[in-house]
Amino acid sequence: MKTYEVFLKRPGKDPFIHVGALEAPDDDLALSFARDCYTRRSEGDQMWVVAREDLLVADPVELEMADRPHRHNDGALLRDLRQAGDQSAS
Amino acid sequence: MRSWDSMEDFEAFLDDGGLVEPDDDMPDAYREAVFRFIELHANSEYMGGLTERDWIAKAPGLTNKLTALAKTQDEIGHAHLLYMVAADMGVKTRDEMTADLLAGRTTFHNVFHYRAHSWGDQIAIAYLVDAAALASQQAVFKNCSYGPYKCILRRIIAEEGFHMRNGEELLLKMAKGTTQQHEMMQEGIDRWWWPSVQLFGPDTRPDDVLLRWHIKSERNEDLRDRFVQKMVPQLTAAGFTIPDPDLHQDPETGRWVSGEIDWDALKAAIAGRGPDSARRLNDARLAWDGAAWVRSALDEAAAVPA
Repeated sequence: MKTYEVFLKRPGKDPFIHVGALEAPDDDLALSFARDCYTRRSEGDQMWVVAREDLLVADPVELEMADRPHRHNDGALLRDLRQAGDQSAS
Repeated sequence: MRSWDSMEDFEAFLDDGGLVEPDDDMPDAYREAVFRFIELHANSEYMGGLTERDWIAKAPGLTNKLTALAKTQDEIGHAHLLYMVAADMGVKTRDEMTADLLAGRTTFHNVFHYRAHSWGDQIAIAYLVDAAALASQQAVFKNCSYGPYKCILRRIIAEEGFHMRNGEELLLKMAKGTTQQHEMMQEGIDRWWWPSVQLFGPDTRPDDVLLRWHIKSERNEDLRDRFVQKMVPQLTAAGFTIPDPDLHQDPETGRWVSGEIDWDALKAAIAGRGPDSARRLNDARLAWDGAAWVRSALDEAAAVPA
């Protein structure tokens, strides 16, 4: 038996969302089991079923490291500059 | 893979609302406790699904049969999802969990150790037991620190909501039905009231790790009390009585106060010494053995190269 991961997409702008996993002997049955297990009440109009062994999984620590402070702007500097401007005008 | 230097760091992470994922290097004690909790939940959904299945043939009328069918699929589906999440924790494989359940080495909820005698019992289960189970699950979902469990609880709770609504519908139909139907429903309530109240468990102990590690978000006694406050007025309004002679309203607060709860009954049921434990487990074994040909067909299909 192989483990598969299931992704569903609802109609509209929502992205595909991971909803869970299942075990199946082959791809055809994986699709059939996924329909039975995850879409009994129209939870999505599109479904991806992917063998877990075929997924490329990133390291969460490396993901966190990809984030850099200079890519964010929390508006603090802008707030200070605006305040300074207000004070010099008055 | 994330890891924590000490239990203090890990608990600080949890207190901060952190979510633990399967690949994280979580403390063994946390892994073990969360796994046991999910395994108990999975076993209970599975045993509940088998009970529901018994009523597909017996439910009166096509509509009720269809509902029983849908509920059976839901409960077995929940067991599937939960066993997958539990297996991914790496404590036991799914086959080991099944073997332990069928051998009576692991437990399932007390309410599946009793016999459903009539359609009235079945409605009482749908109404009382599903409401109690849903309240517990919602309290876990609210603050659950284990990511994959939280994800599937969302789905389980949505589906249990359908079941509870169906239970209330059927209860109100019986309430407005013939004298015989009313009596049958009352008997169901008489048999299932106490097991439902006991389902919440005894008062939470101060050192309960499930509470400290944000698996449970509320104390058992608070959930149980809310259940009583909600159910007593609903059942009374529908013309039914509660099988608790000591149940009374506090004159000052107006809150309903239950009589003494028999915790020995809960312990006996969970330990497999409930009124219907042996038959239920035997039924589960028969169902498992009866489906052996499906599993071997699947294994054969898996062995064929694509």
